[in-house]
Amino acid sequence: MRIVIGQGSCGIAAGAEKVRAALADAGVAENVSITGCIGMCWLEPIVDVYDGDALTRLVRVSESDAPAIAEFVKTGDKSAVEGLVVSDEDSEFLTKQTRIALRNCGVINPEKIEEYMEKDGYSALKKALAMSPEEVIEIIKTSGLAGRGGAGFPTWFKWNAARQSAGDEKYLICNADEGDPGAFMDRAVIESDPHNLIEGMLIGAYAIGAKHAVVYVRAEYPLAIKRLKNALAQAKEKGIIGDNIFGSGFSCDFMIKAGAGAFVCGEETALIESLEGHRGMPRLKPPFPAQSGFWRKPSNINNVETFANVAWIINNGGEAFAAMGTEGSKGTKVFAVTGKVKRSGLVEIPMGKTLRDVIFDIGGGMKTDKPFKAVQMGGPSGGCIPAELIDTVIDYKALGATGAIMGSGGMVVMDESTCMVGMAKFFLDFTAKESCGKCIHCRIGTKRMLEMLDRITKGEGKDGDVELLEELCYSIKDGALCGLGQTAPNPVLTTIKYFRNEYEAHIKDKKCPAGECSDLIEYKIIADKCRGCTLCARNCPVNAISGTVKNPHVIDTEKCIKCGKCYQSCKFGAIVKE
Amino acid sequence: MINLTINGKKITAPEGSTILEAARANGIDIPTLCYDKAVEIYGACGLCVVEAEGIPKLLRSCSAKVMEGMVVNTESERVVQSRKIAMELLMSAHDGDCVAPCQLNCPAHTDCQGYVGMIANGEFDSALKIIKNNIPLPASIGRVCPHPCEKACRRKNVEEPINIAQLKAFAADVDLNGDSYVPECKEPTGKKVAVIGAGPAGLSAAYYLTVMGHSVTVYDMMDKAGGMLRYGIPQYRLPKEVLDKEISIIEKTGVKFVYNSKLGRDFTIESLKAENDAVIVAVGAWKSSSMRTPGEELDGVYGGIDFLRGVIKGNAPDIGEKVAICGGGNTAMDACRTAVRLGAKEVYVVYRRTRNEMPADKLEIDEAEEEGVIYKFLTNPLSFNGENGKVKSITLQVMELGEPDASGRRRPVPVEGKTEEIAVDSVILAIGQKLVQGDVSELKLNERGNIEADPDFFNTSIDGVFAIGDATNRGASIAIEAIGEADRCARAVDAYLNGQAFDTRVPYISKRDESTIDYSDREKQSRITPKVLPADVRNKSFDEVSLGFTEDEAKAEASRCLECGCREYYKCKLLNVAQRYDIDPDRFKGEMPQKYTRDENAFIERNPAKCILCGLCVRSCREVMDIHALGLMGRGFKTEPSPAFALPLDQTKCNNCGLCVQLCPTGALTERSSLKKQVPLDENCTEEFVEIGGKKARVLVSRYNGKVLRVIPGDEVSRNAGLSREELFGLIKD
Repeated sequence: MRIVIGQGSCGIAAGAEKVRAALADAGVAENVSITGCIGMCWLEPIVDVYDGDALTRLVRVSESDAPAIAEFVKTGDKSAVEGLVVSDEDSEFLTKQTRIALRNCGVINPEKIEEYMEKDGYSALKKALAMSPEEVIEIIKTSGLAGRGGAGFPTWFKWNAARQSAGDEKYLICNADEGDPGAFMDRAVIESDPHNLIEGMLIGAYAIGAKHAVVYVRAEYPLAIKRLKNALAQAKEKGIIGDNIFGSGFSCDFMIKAGAGAFVCGEETALIESLEGHRGMPRLKPPFPAQSGFWRKPSNINNVETFANVAWIINNGGEAFAAMGTEGSKGTKVFAVTGKVKRSGLVEIPMGKTLRDVIFDIGGGMKTDKPFKAVQMGGPSGGCIPAELIDTVIDYKALGATGAIMGSGGMVVMDESTCMVGMAKFFLDFTAKESCGKCIHCRIGTKRMLEMLDRITKGEGKDGDVELLEELCYSIKDGALCGLGQTAPNPVLTTIKYFRNEYEAHIKDKKCPAGECSDLIEYKIIADKCRGCTLCARNCPVNAISGTVKNPHVIDTEKCIKCGKCYQSCKFGAIVKE
Repeated sequence: MINLTINGKKITAPEGSTILEAARANGIDIPTLCYDKAVEIYGACGLCVVEAEGIPKLLRSCSAKVMEGMVVNTESERVVQSRKIAMELLMSAHDGDCVAPCQLNCPAHTDCQGYVGMIANGEFDSALKIIKNNIPLPASIGRVCPHPCEKACRRKNVEEPINIAQLKAFAADVDLNGDSYVPECKEPTGKKVAVIGAGPAGLSAAYYLTVMGHSVTVYDMMDKAGGMLRYGIPQYRLPKEVLDKEISIIEKTGVKFVYNSKLGRDFTIESLKAENDAVIVAVGAWKSSSMRTPGEELDGVYGGIDFLRGVIKGNAPDIGEKVAICGGGNTAMDACRTAVRLGAKEVYVVYRRTRNEMPADKLEIDEAEEEGVIYKFLTNPLSFNGENGKVKSITLQVMELGEPDASGRRRPVPVEGKTEEIAVDSVILAIGQKLVQGDVSELKLNERGNIEADPDFFNTSIDGVFAIGDATNRGASIAIEAIGEADRCARAVDAYLNGQAFDTRVPYISKRDESTIDYSDREKQSRITPKVLPADVRNKSFDEVSLGFTEDEAKAEASRCLECGCREYYKCKLLNVAQRYDIDPDRFKGEMPQKYTRDENAFIERNPAKCILCGLCVRSCREVMDIHALGLMGRGFKTEPSPAFALPLDQTKCNNCGLCVQLCPTGALTERSSLKKQVPLDENCTEEFVEIGGKKARVLVSRYNGKVLRVIPGDEVSRNAGLSREELFGLIKD
């Protein structure tokens, strides 16, 4: 039997390395191999045991489970690991998905090119090299593939523009500067299936006529960089990259650039500045990178997930890809589902499904008993979609109509305990800090919005603040230089659109309806319900609770720091937050 | 060539040119702050945005190319809104004072920092000219003004304010004692203006209008000009010889005077109007206010200004040995100190509050006390008691301070049943003065009994008749207030005479938040006050009390100035754009991105708090000079241009070419002038050619009052010649 341990960054963080070591200690080292991210984040560490093709998936495995697993592997006696086997319900998380970009993730060993080759790896490249570049672009056009990084621009159009640009020196760049808080699909692809990315990029390079390919990946992804480097070395050894690939006469070299951690470098022109060794600040467009990009040469930039679809499309045909999805949005999309949802992880589904499908059907609904309130789509550039729009179809246009965006696929699920003003403030704090400082609207505008939101959440909001915020939002969208600034107001605009009453409550009544803004809440003990157990008083870190045993306790609101410890510790529901 | 339409105007532009280039070539101005032909297009400021038909996004005209048939609007509502918000945001993060607070607090808007600075530099001539832009009577005003400028002076937060008023008197005295400056008047316009009243308001209005080229005649009921400056201010404070000299300069500009000619007796407003194109009524307030206290009608009870006028005209009333002055203002001080000089033995000042609440100048209060004046604080006259119709004593109600009133001062309230009586030979009521209403019966008065004049345009109920000064609106105030009104009124009258609209809008300027200013790095230096005559000498004489500044004292005192106002005020591109739109940056008031600092080397002063991040300094240093001395540091709101690792400029490859300073659109980078004390001046900048190493080189020269203040390299040859500033100066003649 083979033991495969999920060794993406998330699995490792959950303890996969320790499990691996423990399994070695338990005497089954030779059976163990690794795979990348399986996508079931809430169940990590995950150990897959294969008996031939038959899979037994063990979840939330700890080091102490190693002897039992070794026992199971040696004897085939499943009872030893019974408690670890994934439930049928949880398995649906994967079975309900349609995986194209993630097709090999959690399946193959990302450190072995052979395993990729076994899955028809690099056959699409061979196929493409036998076609003319124009034919390749035509297939991509037929597929309807659009940029998965956020903007959703048709991929064929960009490829064609770069192809049509004059000049021999052209660059194909992969944007792996995944920066949205809560988004990790690109990391998963590189860590779990790096050859899929390389193959997609090579096909792209061939299509536009580039001899140089660059992967701009954030330095915070060391494992991705390591596995990508390893994959490149293997591919080079096999003659898949370098000169005269597969004897086709097409040559392409690869370079990895580790970005130093600026969110704005995910913006294509800022990424180019950074690649050239300058401070990551966006350039004015036009000229577009297709005309004048890296080193002022024609350049094409696509996101990781976009490239991850390319080999599949070449192998299966543009029509097969286009058969999935809606009129305007084709193929599948990967979402990183996080927040108050029961099953968090990577979800790849065809366009045209609804948010309900992702959050409730696949994600299993809410983690707690509090009702679903909203979902933030597209990270800090996106917007929130409220519960009443849960049946919105996953489609660039339909999501855009709500005020949110498809974005790179971040999906943060929120329940009634999330303050929407606080949520908007969180994302704005992120964009304000990540603004490159170049244009006025973004540099100062986001800061001023943040100050206003901060005042509002502290109960210092004034009449007219919401209107002023809106005025500023529209002006920033209109005036900011790049996508970062132009989309920064989205979380604020959508929360105002759908939760204006929450803003008003903060401003007029000095109340936070979700009970999250600590300046606007107060903890109180209901004397009738208090049994005088003293637990709250013992848990209070600032000794703000007084009272004697078996008598009702009292909170000194002057001393209280609103940490909520008492609220969480009370077993009788005697403490209220208002 | 490409055909396009901008703002409805059909134009052609070369293919490949930008909308901005096309617009500017056709006289259409689009504002920019980060654009300069010397460097690559950057797109940071976003002010150059325009709207083009069929294109949903606003276009940055600095980079968007012209296209055939394009229809562009550079001033659409959406464009203006975008620029307006951009400027509001920019100014909300621009920590600087365009103009110093002293100047802003001066009712006549006198450029105090300018003349104080020039006095510090020993440039007394320039200082005087700066003063005369706003005050035609500086030697007099410098002596009598209660100086609101000094109240606003930030030096008070270090130790004490600059002695601005007396510095003004110093510069004016230097001018009066030498070749006095007489301004050049514009070409005669042929328009005639009559001014009624030769007080500070009337004199000033006449001066300004004459300089503007109008023919002005001033009518006054007295036999000499000066108004209250002559008949209300005692000789020991303002020697009449000084006033005479100043009036003679006004006369030299061409102002004509008709004395002993009284409104209502010798002429009417209508009669003047018939002979002139405009009339300005500046008759002042010549009647002492009553206290409505029983016994005011008794012999020996005098009005304050009546008393002072009598003394000045040489017919002082017999005030006896014991005199009580009622009031706490500067007229009360003038009256009590005059009474002392007339020989009174016991001079009381009866004032219902305490010393702290007295409106009079503190120096006056102290000097009067030194001269022997006795203060009766917290007392109020209940009655003046007489014998045979002559005042003999005053019954005083004893007061105490209660809650603060509308003026912020604690309200005096009577202490029930507590009175006191003092014996007096005379009483002087110095509690204010009023307009003599009968004189101006032709004009509409307001509910206070003063002439109703528009606060912006100064027009009255009669077309072509304007009114200013103590006789109008809120009544008597200080001279500098009247002079400020005269200045604005003269401009309003000029506009009226030319048939133009008078723009009363106050242009936007940037002001620092006083509460955020840090003075901890300022070295303490005491305020210098000119020497005065000893108390036992001056109380027997009407000689001027103050001996005035010596040259060294004046320079030292002026050097204390903190230089609050921006040196780049007169050529600030940022301010120019800010004033173009009706902006209110306070809507977005918040944290300032950078600390207000002054990083100075021999040539350049750098203040990141004023930086607007246009990037021109960084880019020009990199793209034009290939020196890379500056880069951008920090992120987002905290971004700032700085040498690498925040090193000082002189540890970089900076060769002091000055290009960055030249391109800086505001006061974040300024080039030091040749003056010791740096002063914001309306310099005259020219482009000149010199020979450097056998090559023709362009330099930029700025001069003020004929003196060369700066020489900056203006082309590649001069920038790369490696000459020091001294060497560059050597190439230019004054």
